[in-house]
This record gives sequence, C-alpha cells and structure tokens, in this order.
Amino acid sequence: MSFDPATVAAFVDGELDDLTARRIEREAASDPALAAEIARHHALRAELAAHYAPVIEAPVPERLRALLVPGAAVDTSLAARREVKRARFGPVHWGAIAAALLLGLTLGMRPWIPAASVGEANGTIVAEGPLARALDTQLASTQPSNAAVRIGLSFKDSAGRYCRSFESRSLNGIGCRDGDGWRLERTMAGQNGADYRQASSGELVAAAAAMMEGEPLDAISEKAARDTGWTHR
Amino acid sequence: MRFEEELVALLPRLRRFARGLARHASDADDLCQAAIERALKSQDQWQAGTRLDSWMYRITRNLWIDERRATGRRGVHAPIDETVTQIAGDGAAEVEAGALRGDVGGAMARLPDEQREVVLLILVEGYAYREAADILDVPIGTVTSRLARGREALMHLLGEAA
Repeated sequence: MSFDPATVAAFVDGELDDLTARRIEREAASDPALAAEIARHHALRAELAAHYAPVIEAPVPERLRALLVPGAAVDTSLAARREVKRARFGPVHWGAIAAALLLGLTLGMRPWIPAASVGEANGTIVAEGPLARALDTQLASTQPSNAAVRIGLSFKDSAGRYCRSFESRSLNGIGCRDGDGWRLERTMAGQNGADYRQASSGELVAAAAAMMEGEPLDAISEKAARDTGWTHR
Repeated sequence: MRFEEELVALLPRLRRFARGLARHASDADDLCQAAIERALKSQDQWQAGTRLDSWMYRITRNLWIDERRATGRRGVHAPIDETVTQIAGDGAAEVEAGALRGDVGGAMARLPDEQREVVLLILVEGYAYREAADILDVPIGTVTSRLARGREALMHLLGEAA
C-alpha cells in the first residue's frame, strides 16, 4: 500500500484534497489491501452511527425542551414536529404520521414556493407531486441552488433499493424506490428558515449512513441510476 | 430565528453527543440540561451568525470535563474509570482483538476521555478536523493523533482490525 494509514483515514474522513482523494480511489480499484483498509474505516463509522442513531431519533425529554419552550408558548410547528417524532417510534400509525406531516406541510408552506408533498399508499408514506418528481429526475450534481427540493445523497440500502435523501422547506427525509414510487423511510421537519439546515442535515446524513450499503453514488452512477428508472439490479 | 428555537432544533444531536460522553442516559440528559442552562445564562456571549452548534458542543464538553475532574477530586469514581485506567488507549491492545465485538458502548467506554471526544466529534457528529480542533481548543495535529489512536483501539476491540 503506497498510502500511509493517516492518509487513508483522512480520505475516509473527507479531509483530503480532490487530487489525492482521486488517486486513492483509483488505486483502491486495483489494490485489495487498500480497498480493505477503506472498508474497515467505513465499517467502524457505520457501527458508530448505528449505535448512536436511537438517541438522535428518540423524542427529546420534556424536561430538556421545557427549559427552552415554556409550556404555553409551544408554537404549533414545534408541536407538529414533535408529533411526527413521537408517532414514528410508538406503535406505527401511518395514517397519523401522514396527518402530522400534512399539518407540518400546511404550516410550513409558503404559497409561492412549491412544497414537498406526501401521500399514503398501502399503509406507507409515499412521495407525491413535486417531491416525487424531484426524487425521480433531479440530480444532486446539477440541481439549481434554489431548488425547492434539494437532493442530498443517493445510495443503495441493504435490500438493494435506491434511496435518496432530500431537504425542502417543509420536510426532510429519505425516500427509497419501491415499485413505481418512492417510499419515505425517514421523515423529519424541514427547515422553515435556513437556520435549521445545519442541524437537520446532520441528522439526515447520519440516518443515510445507517441505511447505506457501500458507498453513496457518485455523480456518474447517480445519473446512470436515474436514466434506468431507479430499478435495482 | 430565536436563540431558544435554534437550541431546540439542536437538541437531538446534542443529546447524542452527551450520550457518547457520559454513556448513561440519565447522566447524559443531566449534562444536556446543565449545558442548556449555561447557554441560556451566557447567551450574550454567543454571536448571532456564528455557529450555535459548535458553541453548544464546546459548552457541553467543558461541563463534562469539569464534572469528571470534580468527581475525581472527591475520590468518587464513575464505574468505568477503573477499567479505563487499566486498559485505556494503547493498553487496549492487550485486550484480545474483537473481545467487544458488537459492544460499541463498551468499546467507547474504554477509550480515554480525550480520544473518545475526538471520535465522537469527527466519526459520529461529522465535524471536520479543523472544526473539532476549534471546539476542543487544541491544535489540529492533536486532534488527528488522538483520532488515530482512538480509532485503532476501537477497531481492535470491535474486531475490525486488519
């Protein structure tokens, strides 16, 4: 292996310049030892992410929230967000989740900006309208910076399905290709203001990392997957 | 956006970080509570427009360090302390490879504090080396060497060694 361990670690941590990162990628294709070393790092990251994921997904205890949100002043968007979280980890009532999501959408909607939209099919939440269109066609590499729905990572999950994380004003989440549509496997409140982006992006990335099998798709494989209709092979 | 609202949005991540530091759920939430109270009190020291998350992580981490030092002085040891002094860090190599396979919490508890916090910030919270160095107020080289040692110890304990 012609790269020292610190360089390989920095590669996995995304700390290398593009040139060196590309050299490592190229070399890993023909150097099994290097590829194994990279895989070992990814495995550790995935194991850590999975271990701590339940904490980030659990509802925040009332005693902490109460320090920041005085009881009477709970604003409805927060209540809706909390409802989404609670419903997700209690017994699964998909209808209730859909209702909570739709409530969140209505509250978060700015009429002049097309919002993400969801529907229910066979007891699961699915993407509809502009969100479905974005998941179908939009590429992370070419999307305009002001796109109403922004695509984050595209990847394959352990079942071999294509999944894509997305962010929009009213809803963030991860949709996985299921038949002809996108089943929303993770949902969280969107950023009704740019300041939420930081926090929820981190959650999304962590959720995606926990679901991901292998590497996220690069620009070329993302385009190839789109062009073949997100059918898994 | 109001300071409090931003903090609420940050809570899930902050709880995860605290859980990584303190391990036990109730200790972690106590730590979060102390951090929130400190943040509310010191609100005027936070400059709007700068990153609230880094600021909160720094507060949380410093409170945790204070707490560890205080319990150390009182001669009260958290249950994990003994294990830590025995086989922490480099000493972890003496434990059989893969001895803690699947037990991420146990493996993390065996890291010395200064390695665990770096592992949490970079591998779990996804901060860049530079950002982690700023939160911890140490040089970036210190971050990378602690990360390397923590990482190797974890891979060894969890059985991911090459």
